Amino acid sequence: MRSLQEKRELLYVIRTLDVLISSGVGLEAALHTIGKGGYGVISSDFESMMERLTSGKTRGLGDELKSLQKKAESKGYQRLLNTLYTNVTQNTDLVDTLKKQGARMEEERTEEVEKYIETLGGVPESLLSIGMIGPIILSIVGLVPQIMSGDLGAFMSLPEASTMNLVVNIGLVGTLLAMFFIGLKAHTKDPGL
Amino acid sequence: MIIRILESFNDSPLMLYILIVAIACIGGGIPPMLERRRRREIENQLPGFLEALSDSVGAGRGLQEAMMEQADSSPGLLTTILKETLRESHSSSFEAMLASFAAKTRSTQVQRVMVLIDTALEQDAPLQPILSDLSRDYERLNDLMNLREVELQGRGILIILFVSIGLPVLIAFIVGLFAPASKGYQITEFNSTFALFFAVASVIGVGVTGRMLGRLKDMLWWLPLWMVLSMALYLGAVKAVGG
Repeated sequence: MRSLQEKRELLYVIRTLDVLISSGVGLEAALHTIGKGGYGVISSDFESMMERLTSGKTRGLGDELKSLQKKAESKGYQRLLNTLYTNVTQNTDLVDTLKKQGARMEEERTEEVEKYIETLGGVPESLLSIGMIGPIILSIVGLVPQIMSGDLGAFMSLPEASTMNLVVNIGLVGTLLAMFFIGLKAHTKDPGL
Repeated sequence: MIIRILESFNDSPLMLYILIVAIACIGGGIPPMLERRRRREIENQLPGFLEALSDSVGAGRGLQEAMMEQADSSPGLLTTILKETLRESHSSSFEAMLASFAAKTRSTQVQRVMVLIDTALEQDAPLQPILSDLSRDYERLNDLMNLREVELQGRGILIILFVSIGLPVLIAFIVGLFAPASKGYQITEFNSTFALFFAVASVIGVGVTGRMLGRLKDMLWWLPLWMVLSMALYLGAVKAVGG
């Protein structure tokens, strides 16, 4: 869930940092602006980082960025934090790197959405196959004790009606679970637009 | 007639309870649909608006002047809201007008853009490239959102139609033909089990469709309606076919 939230906000954070830093704002002030809110989980990360920095409880911005990297779940966010860390320790060209990263993030997002659409292409078929074949078979199984009662049932030595009902109930719950897990793909592969 | 139809489902109280919830939820389901349509209309106009602003700023106009020109010359909901905001904000600052405009659109995209423009103005950053970049960014984002909508909507509708309508009717025909109640078959318990199954299957179908289209919360309002529809179709078709 955190990874999805990071992905959703990251491109906007990169663009804002780009605007701020290219217009001459320092890195700490730029991070403080992001930390003021509007960028979800990234804002709260930066806010708590700035709080620790101003209270003097930390060894510096570099260390804070490094520890935040461990907390980050999405690759893009980890990359951004690494870029910021490198800038703090080696004085790199941050604006240029942010522009490149923004373009790369956009490309990745487009690819992810296309992949998502492709992945979900098979979901309706799988969902409907399981969701339709299961109940059709189970409804017939459930009706067998009614249809084949009397001599025919005794001749075929059918299990008791309660056993058949139990099988049907378990089968229906299994079908629902299978449908749920097939549909779960729609959530887990979400590109976070 | 309606009362007679409802009375025929007296042995399925759960369905009748869900029906009441479903009717109540329709009232909650319509506003998010209308709001979403309005928001998407605004968001689809945003890249063009930003590009026009970028051109005007590049031609030497101030941002406020460029916005006023756009409000007068461009059609659409976004510029109508802008015109209204400009008319109302004669004695307030330009920053306050931007904030008010962003709030009135109720769109995250517009709000983000306005925050960024405000930041750029505060820092005295060059506006033309920023507006041009933003225009391209949001054009791509909206293209992706529209693509997702177009590609997945059909699949989502297919899932709901099959799970909530096709499947209950199909099973009801099988049950009604092989074990008609009119011939003394005891299928009350069987029917309530399957009606419950279709209700839960509808929950899954609608949930998956909502998640695919990225609007699960909006779809939740319609969930009881699809549940009750699938249950009613099954129980009704069993009665109609099997007597």
